[in-house]
Formats: sequence, structure tokens, C-alpha cells
Amino acid sequence: MSDDKKTYYSIDPEDKLYCSKCNELMVKADCAFAYLDNEFPVEMPVCPVCGLVYVPEDLAIGKVLSVEKVLEDK
Amino acid sequence: MKDHFKERSTRTYRQKQLFTKAELEERESVCVHEQPAFCTAACPLKLDAREFVRLVGIGDIKTARAMLERIAPFPYILASGCHSPCVSKCRLSEVSEGISIGALERYVMANAPAPAGKGLLKFKKKKKAAVFGGSLFALAVAGEMANKSYPTTFYVAESEAADIIRSCASFLSDGDMETETKRLLAMDIDIIYNSQLGASFIDSLKDKFDLVFASSELLGEKPDQITLINSSGIITDSGNNKEVIDSLFDARRAGITADRLAQSLDPKSSRGDEGPFESRLYTDLSEVIPSSQIAENEGYTKEEAIAEASRCIQCACTECMKACIYLREFKRHPRLLTREIYNNTGIIMGDHTLNRAMNSCSLCKQCSVTCPFGYDMADICQKARANMVDTDKLSLAVHEFALLDMLFSNSEAFLSMLPPDKENCEYVFFPGCQAGAVSPETIIKSYADLRERLTGDIALMLGCCGAIAHWAGRTELYDEMKDFIKSEMAKLNNPKIIAGCPTCRNTLSEYLDVPVIGIWDILSDLGLPENTEKASGKAVIQDACAARCDSETQDKIRDLTKKLGYTVSEPQNTKDRCSCCGYGGLVSYANRDMAKDMANDRLKGVSDELNLTYCMACSDRFKREGADSKHILELIYGTAKDGFADISEKRKNRLTLKQSLLSDVWGINVLDEVLDFELKISDEARIIMDDRMILESDIIAVMKDYHINKEAVYDVKTELSIATKRIGNVSFWVKFTSEGENAYNVVGAYSHRMTISKRGR
Ligand code: SF4
Ligand code: SF4
Ligand code: SF4
Ligand SMILES: [Zn+2]
Repeated sequence: MSDDKKTYYSIDPEDKLYCSKCNELMVKADCAFAYLDNEFPVEMPVCPVCGLVYVPEDLAIGKVLSVEKVLEDK
Repeated sequence: MKDHFKERSTRTYRQKQLFTKAELEERESVCVHEQPAFCTAACPLKLDAREFVRLVGIGDIKTARAMLERIAPFPYILASGCHSPCVSKCRLSEVSEGISIGALERYVMANAPAPAGKGLLKFKKKKKAAVFGGSLFALAVAGEMANKSYPTTFYVAESEAADIIRSCASFLSDGDMETETKRLLAMDIDIIYNSQLGASFIDSLKDKFDLVFASSELLGEKPDQITLINSSGIITDSGNNKEVIDSLFDARRAGITADRLAQSLDPKSSRGDEGPFESRLYTDLSEVIPSSQIAENEGYTKEEAIAEASRCIQCACTECMKACIYLREFKRHPRLLTREIYNNTGIIMGDHTLNRAMNSCSLCKQCSVTCPFGYDMADICQKARANMVDTDKLSLAVHEFALLDMLFSNSEAFLSMLPPDKENCEYVFFPGCQAGAVSPETIIKSYADLRERLTGDIALMLGCCGAIAHWAGRTELYDEMKDFIKSEMAKLNNPKIIAGCPTCRNTLSEYLDVPVIGIWDILSDLGLPENTEKASGKAVIQDACAARCDSETQDKIRDLTKKLGYTVSEPQNTKDRCSCCGYGGLVSYANRDMAKDMANDRLKGVSDELNLTYCMACSDRFKREGADSKHILELIYGTAKDGFADISEKRKNRLTLKQSLLSDVWGINVLDEVLDFELKISDEARIIMDDRMILESDIIAVMKDYHINKEAVYDVKTELSIATKRIGNVSFWVKFTSEGENAYNVVGAYSHRMTISKRGR
């Protein structure tokens, strides 16, 4: 992806999030939200072993929801 | 089967016309909201008299005067000379006396300050105009042409300006005469006094000018009655002018002809609407208190003028808006709303700003009753939704929950059974999906009662009629639902249907060929069951919008209510004029605030009373707004409960209803799915889930996965685990704590529709 460096949003795991299955501290990694054929590069907490991505509640019901609403009327 | 739940792409550009231009215009023209007021329509010069009177009423005579200055080159002549054809056409004249618009004009001209200066310097036009004659028409045309910036020469027999004004408008007071004389002199007009007016004089000069005007009496000929051009190309008055206003109107039309000619356009075409006409506007006079005109005497004082202007009712049609809170909140009358929704469907790229409006109409058809012309906004909104679904422009998010709920009703929770030990039946009881969701006990008891007291065998069908797909504009899915119900009906050999819900009754009778009646029809024949508890007190009847224009049903409900022991009380908008509770048209999914407002609007003034409904969705919506509401069947069968079911209970109710009927009536036992872990959901979590449209079954699905693979995020700060699963188009997240290996306490949940994935390397 060409816009690798451009991210819309970044969430820091702050050393407080663990992947339960792998028992690993989650790290910040490049991710992408996608909806209705639109993509948004972001940085999210991810398990370095299994790749599980975490979307915190505040983000889901805040920013993510409002972007969804905008796209839904496109 | 087509996948109806595949998310669309915002990058597909598809287009399909909602209506042809002709159909759009036909639909819009039903609404008279934009028609001018009766007074305005009667004015040949199209003074917006309604606005003029309003301005006088609020004391803004400066703006009011500007309106007069704009329509007449000599406004004092207009104010004093016009015989006011508007007054007899004023709507008030039907119940009392019309507004004295002429007197108000005179008041404004006498008291408002004259506009300052001449405004911006205008460039002179190239075409030169000549006006011959000292008639009022000629004077007014000279003024019109000068105001339009044509270089104008005015030939008159008189020797001074004051004489011109006097001979044209002898009715003016001395003061007004002086003012209009000054006005004439200040105009950019070249006045040639002492001219020998006559046909030969005009003939000798007319070739020097591009546009020539004359009084028709000088030429002894009437012109073309539209363009006012006579056989020698001279523009004259119509020859029919009796009143002052006729001459001013002719001058206005002559000016339009001149403009068309100056631009080398056909003077006959594109002239717009000219002259007085009958307005089609509707205005309700039922609440008008008759009042008389205030005498003008020597001219109104300020108080008198305001009092006279305040008699004006500002004629307008708002019949539909008075009753429909949706139209009021979106602040658009149906004509405008239709146009904007039509445009919304036509947008290929960009924001569809009218989606919300289009999806917030309850499709209740109240407007078709309250509008004197029967405007059908519901049909337009439903068709617009279908159009946008067809062109892939309506997102699933809006209605997906409701559609999945419908599919649930017609799959897992569906039940269609012949009566026990029977091969055939006369009837099938179809209580409707909402009844099963909201009050399963009522279905159990009413089915038992029907089987006991009604002659003939009765089958049972628990499911959804498909109305939900229709409301969502999902035409193909609706067709599939119809086919499904049809095939299930065929398996029962197509018995007569007893519907428990007015919407089901309407929907089923639309696509099935069997008779469909309501359970209220049966109960009204059979009478109440013996063990029905007698009640007393008042019951406010909240009609179902699906029973609009169905007085038989409305009457039977009232009759049953009385038999129950209640006295019947009618709310504000009742029977055919009732509005919707906010469930119809899926408003409660597309615009929750609107749905709340709709419910509260119906409850206005009666929320403390018993609100009796005959639609389960209505009771549910009213209860959610804190009112006491009961379905008539709940009262008949003693199954009313306090509180309302949340979205998860609504699903569970349908499943348990199916199970208990199967086991109690047919002796078939279905085993509940047993989870191999214990799951507790806190009360707070349940409230959040209802609010965020997250079902208990979604939580279970997430936790089942977790129980096997232990995939979750653990937050050391909150000491909560968060597990996730994507179900259909939604990612669900469950926040929980674990008690040992086999028990979970859910404390919260959230969801989003976007997908999330790792990028690159
Ligand atoms: S009541 Fe007012 S708006 Fe209506 S016709 Fe009369 S003057 Fe015009
Ligand atoms: S909500 Fe009902 S009354 Fe209002 S516009 Fe829609 S169909 Fe008409
Ligand atoms: S009632 Fe409503 S739809 Fe009907 S003419 Fe009046 S404004 Fe238009
Ligand atoms: Zn992991």
C-alpha cells in the first residue's frame, strides 16, 4: 500500500493489554478499517504472535460509528 | 436465494429514475402549499398581499412600502386608485369581511419613509423608447421604461408635469399629486410638452425609436390582447381598461413585451403567468373568529392599521403538518419534500442528505386523510427507499436489524401446524411477529379460546407477513417472504386467515387469495370469553394506523372495549386521522428520536390514562415511553404485564412460544440448546445491549467461540477480558470476567460494522 505512513488514528496499547491465548503483551501495529469499499489505515493494538487486533469500546462507539454513518449516506 | 445482506460499495455508480418528470410533477401538483394566497392571486400586479399585510401587522412599513414601489412606478396612484379586487377574494370575506388591503396600502404610502436615493447607477439600455399620450397607461409605461433603464422620450399634450399627473389621476390628494409630479420629474425621462398627439404625429416620429408606445384611443385600434402590439407594431393599452389597476397592469404587460422585443425574442412566448387567477390554495376557516373591517375614515392610525392587518389569517395550507410530527420536524411540506427526496435518489456521488428524511416517514398514510387533496407521502417515501435499494445506494445498516428479525420470525421462530390430529382446517390463526415477541401468553390464550369457541378447525402460523421487507424497500426480499408464506399456506390447503394484527391483515390480504379477517371480527361475533375480567374506568383508544379508513374495525374495537366495561375516550387525532406510534415504516430503527417523538405525540395529554391499542407494536412503543398501554387482547385474556420486553427477550419470547405451543398443543417436545458453560449477563449490560441493538444470541455466539479457543484481549487495568466475533456484517465485542473455567459474567458489549485487519508485512 502506498499510503503506508499515513494513518488516520492511532491507539497505544500502553503495556496494559495482553493476548489471552498467547499470553503476549499487545503492541502497536499497522491495521486498516474497511467499510463499503473504503479503507482507513490506522494503528491498533495487535498480538505479535497470533495477530489478534483489538478495537477499544470508545473508538468503536465514537469515531468508528461516526465514520460509518457518514459513509452510509454516500 | 440472493444474498440480501451483502454490504454495498460506495463506488458503484448506478442510476434509476424514481419518477418520470411528468409523474413527479403530477404528484407534486397535488399539494397546494406553494399556491399564492387568495388576495395575491387576485392582484393583477401580483403584489404578495399576504406578505404585505404581515409586514404591516408587525409594524415593518418600510419593507411594506418597498414592495409597493417595486410593483408600480407611481405607488401613490396605485394606493389611491386601485379598487382592490383582492378584498372580495380575501378568504376572510367568506366568513366576515376581507382585509382592507387598499386602505393598508394608503396607510403605508402616507406613513412609511420614502426609499432613500436612487440606488445603484444603472447602465442605460441601447434600445430607445417613445411614449405618446397623456393617459394613465402612457404615464405608467413611461415610468416602467425609465425604471428599466431604456432611454425614454415621453410626448404629451400638456405643458407641465403637474398637469400630466392631474389628468391621469385626478383622484389624488393635492399632496400626493405633488409627490408624484416630483417623482415624474426626477425620473430619467425626456418629456416633450405641448405635443400635437395623433396618428400622423406618431407616424412621423416612430421610425426614430426602437420601441413605440401609445394610448390606444389615439390610434382608434385595439392591439393583440396578449402582446399588446397593434397592426402597425405600436404597443398600446388593451383598449379594455376601465379601472386604474387595468391601466397599470397593461403598462406592466407592455413593459414585458418591450423586453422580449429588445432581446429579439418572440413577445408571445415565455411571458409567465400574467394577471389575476383563482388560487387552488386550501385554508381551514373552522377556527376563524369573524371580525369586521376597521373603518378607514381619514386614513388609518398606526394602531388601526396594525389591528386591521392582524385580522389576516396568513392563508396557508398546513393540514398535513398540523397532524404529522414527522413533517413538522423536517420542516417541509410534502411538495417540497417530494422534490428533495426525488433529487436525493438522483445523486450518483456524494452525500444523500435526504436519506434520513426518506427513512423517517412511518408510511402511515395519515397525510392521505388529513390533506384535503389526499397527498400520499407514504407511497413516495416507500418507492424512494426501494429505488435506492435497487441502485445499491441504501446502506444495510439502516434496516438490517429489522430485516434479520423478520427472517428469524420466518425461520427459527416460525411455526405452521394443522390442528392436532387433523388433516385439514377451516382457519389459520396468524397472530403476527410482534405479538409473539411482546406478549406470547396472549397468543397461547387466544389460540385456545378460538379453538374452544369458534366452530371449525383452526391451524396456527407463527411468523411475519413480510411487511418489514416492504417498509425497508427490499422488494426482492419481500417477494421471497410472500412466496414463503404462500407455500406454507398451500401446505395447510389455504384456509381462511384470522389475523391478530391489522398490519398483517392488510399485508396478507394484498398477496393471498384467501379471505383474511381480524381476530376482533371473530370476538365481536362470539362475545368475550366467560372468564374475562370485567373492568371499569376510562380507556383511550389508540387506533392502529393500519386500520385507517376501516371504520368497521375501529367500531368493533370500541364495541369490545365497552363490553370489557370501559368507557371509551378518543385522543386528539383519532380513527382515520390517527398517526403512527413510530414502529411503522421502521422509523424506530432508522431514526430512534423521531420514533420517540411520534409515540409521545400520540400520548400527548393522555399518557397518564390507559391507552388501549390493537397493535402489539403500538403498546410496546407507548410502554417504552413510560405510558400505561395495553393491547385489547391482553385485557380480554388477562395477560397484560408491566414493563416491556427488550430486544433479546423479544426473540426469546418467540422461541419459547413456539416450544410451549408445540409441547402443550401438539405434544412435541423440543429441547433447548444447553450451553456447556454458565453465562451471566448483568442488568447494566442488558440495558446497553438493548440500546446498541446487541442480542443475547450475539453474546452467546461470541462466548461459545471464546470458550473453545480462549481468544480474547485482557486489560490489566480494568481486569476485564474482551472477546470478539464477526457475525454477518457486524463485529461484536463482549466484556466479561471469568469464574473458573466454566462460568462467565458479561458486564458490557459493543459492536461496529467496519472490518478491522492487519496491514502489510
Ligand atoms: S386573510 Fe390575509 S392572506 Fe388570506 S386572503 Fe385575506 S389578506 Fe390574503
Ligand atoms: S409519517 Fe405518515 S402522515 Fe407523516 S408524511 Fe409519512 S405517511 Fe404521511
Ligand atoms: S395538506 Fe399538506 S400535502 Fe395537502 S395540500 Fe396542504 S400542505 Fe400540501
Ligand atoms: Zn495472540
